[in-house]
Amino acid sequence: MGFLHRHAWLTPYLLLAPGLAWLAVFFLVPLGFLAYQSLESGSFDVGYAFDWAWGNYWDGIDRYREQLLRSLVYAALATGIALAISYPLAYWIAFRGGRWKSLLLILIIAPFFVTYLIRTLAWQTILADQGFIVGLLRDVGILGDGGRLLATSTAVVAGITYNFLPFMALPLYVSLEQIDQRLIEAAEDLYASKVQAFLRVTLPLSLPGVVAGTLLTFIPAAGDFINAELLGTPKQSMIGNVIQSKFLELADYPAAASLSFTLMAVILVLIAIYARAIGTEKLTG
Amino acid sequence: MTHPLTRQELLRRATFGAALLSIPGFAAACGGDDDGGGGSGKNELADTLRFSNWTLYIDIDEKTKKRPTLDEFKQKFGVNVVYTEDINSNSEYFGKIQGPLSRGQSINRDIIVLTDNERFLSVMIDKDWTEKLDKDAIPNISNLVDVQKSPGFDPDREFSLPWQSGMTGIAYDAKQTKPITSADQLLEDPELKGRMTMLDNFSDSLGIVMLANGDDPSKVTDEGFNRALERVKAASDSGHIRRFTGNDYTGPLSKGDLKAALAWSGDIVQLQAANPNLKWGIPKDGGMIWTDNMLIPKGGDPYTASVYMNYVYDPKVAAKLAAYIAYVTPVKGAKEELAKTDPETANNELIFPTEETLSQVHLIDPAALKNDKYQEAWQAVLGA
Amino acid sequence: MRFIRRHVLTVYAVLAFAYLLVPIGIVILFSFNDPAGRFNYTWQGFTFDHWRNWDGVPGLRDAMVLSIEIALLASLLATILGTLIALALVRYGFRGRGATNLLIFLPMSTPEIVLGASLLALFINLKVFLGFTTILIAHIMFCISYVVVTVKARLIGFDRSLEEAAMDLGANEWTTFRKVTLPLIAPAILAGALLSFALSVDDFVITYFNSGSEITFPLFVWGAARVGAPPQVNVMGTLIFLFALTLMVVNVLVTMRREARAQA
Repeated sequence: MGFLHRHAWLTPYLLLAPGLAWLAVFFLVPLGFLAYQSLESGSFDVGYAFDWAWGNYWDGIDRYREQLLRSLVYAALATGIALAISYPLAYWIAFRGGRWKSLLLILIIAPFFVTYLIRTLAWQTILADQGFIVGLLRDVGILGDGGRLLATSTAVVAGITYNFLPFMALPLYVSLEQIDQRLIEAAEDLYASKVQAFLRVTLPLSLPGVVAGTLLTFIPAAGDFINAELLGTPKQSMIGNVIQSKFLELADYPAAASLSFTLMAVILVLIAIYARAIGTEKLTG
Repeated sequence: MTHPLTRQELLRRATFGAALLSIPGFAAACGGDDDGGGGSGKNELADTLRFSNWTLYIDIDEKTKKRPTLDEFKQKFGVNVVYTEDINSNSEYFGKIQGPLSRGQSINRDIIVLTDNERFLSVMIDKDWTEKLDKDAIPNISNLVDVQKSPGFDPDREFSLPWQSGMTGIAYDAKQTKPITSADQLLEDPELKGRMTMLDNFSDSLGIVMLANGDDPSKVTDEGFNRALERVKAASDSGHIRRFTGNDYTGPLSKGDLKAALAWSGDIVQLQAANPNLKWGIPKDGGMIWTDNMLIPKGGDPYTASVYMNYVYDPKVAAKLAAYIAYVTPVKGAKEELAKTDPETANNELIFPTEETLSQVHLIDPAALKNDKYQEAWQAVLGA
Repeated sequence: MRFIRRHVLTVYAVLAFAYLLVPIGIVILFSFNDPAGRFNYTWQGFTFDHWRNWDGVPGLRDAMVLSIEIALLASLLATILGTLIALALVRYGFRGRGATNLLIFLPMSTPEIVLGASLLALFINLKVFLGFTTILIAHIMFCISYVVVTVKARLIGFDRSLEEAAMDLGANEWTTFRKVTLPLIAPAILAGALLSFALSVDDFVITYFNSGSEITFPLFVWGAARVGAPPQVNVMGTLIFLFALTLMVVNVLVTMRREARAQA
């Protein structure tokens, strides 16, 4: 302890060191390799060589603008819907969960135990054209006569939402759970209605959780490919699908790499804008 | 590899970097290059055969949890088989192994299995990433069916040998639609709009459309390719084609979401068992055939691998494999062998197609698979 | 008024859980299915066979065990590393704060396929044996960010006055951390660990590239689905789900018993 007192400035660095070292070796180094690859040119047959091929980037943005934009839109939609669904749920667990909170949290991640493919197959059974739900929606008029849910944008966004729900719910819970109930009681004592108490006390205090959940949902969702692949048609393809295709089918590693960096850059820019809008104290405390 | 974990093993695994499951693997880790084959002499069997295959693509006895033909091989030749089911897609598996192979490193396998209707099989051979078969050790190669004797990507069968084949044709739900017997019908019948799927691999989808257009998929020309591509693209844009699928057409087809689909023969065998209304046939202008081929990746042991291949080309063994896997066997005589014990399966035309059926299916032109422009154009239709 | 409001929220929560768990219901249901043929898509009949023969598919149990082992270890380590980073980021000013925040967001934004392949390239260049360790390394790597963001959310609104009070009462920093801070941020650490566990047990792409010959549960299922995932896959998923539930229920009961005894 004495050492740390005299050298208190060291503390943050010591805390950061193990995790950052891990990321430096096992993330930054591969990322460097990827960056190198993104500037190569050539073809798979002849081989690729480093060429400062910035053209890969312009090319990628030019040809795949549509998929890039679509990814951002789908991710944003999924994030918004996930927030709407998760907030009341997280609220209920935090304030009414009592001693069962941990159990309820496990239930939230339970779908992950059965692997993505199996849960998607289960949804395909539930939402099958001849199934109960689609039938109901057709009867009620929401879906047209030959309407369907699967193989549509709705299915893709719903798939993304469902699969990222825990990433929104858990951070929300974390933030809500630490709110001191007495603050809410105090507000009500001061003649605030329930709604006012929520809007003026609970909501602002839960914002760090909202921000965290939004980031943990939007960022990976933007790069997602599997939902579009299994639940969509070519009209729903996202930038993740393009990158998959470039890498796996076409073995065009520079294209895959440069598109990945483009996506990452776009996401980082959006995060920066978001941080500015929210006010950075909420992000970094 | 189904031994229960002892406490020691659990502890060992819990300390970093100690999870080694096989001696060859340990040797590879130490040496950094392949040592696991062990067969030093030319005609000496290695201690272990490392075989990577597609999941559930070999016979299994559910009661004993064993793989009968592998166990018999082990007993007969004294070679331990490390059987890994880590292939589930040609492109993904290739994406995984091209790293070490392009750097001259071994991938620690003696046999892997890749399909001939995607470019990766030819790439492996062209880039010299495979070892030559030791044909002296494979006298049973004479049992290879004639149609497979000289494929474009390996005219002398020096590097590859078929494992199983599959046929691509049109499946339809007889309860929902009249019989769909041609690609023209598949693409143009208005009843099928939004209720049919095509496969996401161009040799299957475009191959069949080329045949319907009167073009030859085994000798693809730019015009032929473009004709087929335009047709498929138009059908996709209009929403006629519901989706492009891998084998995930099987779910929607069995549940009635689809009226028709391009489908593989082996899948249909299974689907029909559950839903006899599903019918399948080769399109009247012709269908496609694809074959999963065994390869010896660089660094593998050619002799031991070849001995295994010879074993699998024995009609008795081939019969057992065909009976379980239910795809098309490349071994002559397997049908007759199976007829002795299981005449029903032996007469299943999807597993043992007649000469006539086989004459109606075509293999894609390997050169077309290697054509980057074609591949990119097709990926664009898929949305990428 | 209050009565209605209270119940609306509960009803909503039940519906939300139903939405989350209905696919699990289907999975459990189909584990009792008796499909003719290898595909388990349509209901054909009830049977306990696949439960009796739950271990009948070679490799499936090993795959599940491997996935759980890796997930437990990865979430443990990622949670530790991530929590430390979160503490540093929220409570201290230091040079490179912005860069660190950036670094945390990068792994999440990188598409899995290029991340997996590049990591593989690293391992190949270092001639590292591909298997359990490399999978573990990869999982820890991509889980750290999620833990950091989750724990940060908790630390941001944290009321330092409690810690100050403890220190005023004579506790040193370490004791304060252990007895005041840690318990208060425990829910966030648990949430981070759960997210890491979920990510790890379900990961396919990065694992596929870095697994060598090891087969995890997702790898097995993806491969098996091609020819028809056997109902034992459903059985396995159900078993894990039930096991986790049981653990938690036992945990709650033990806590209740402990509290009751403390009061007595």
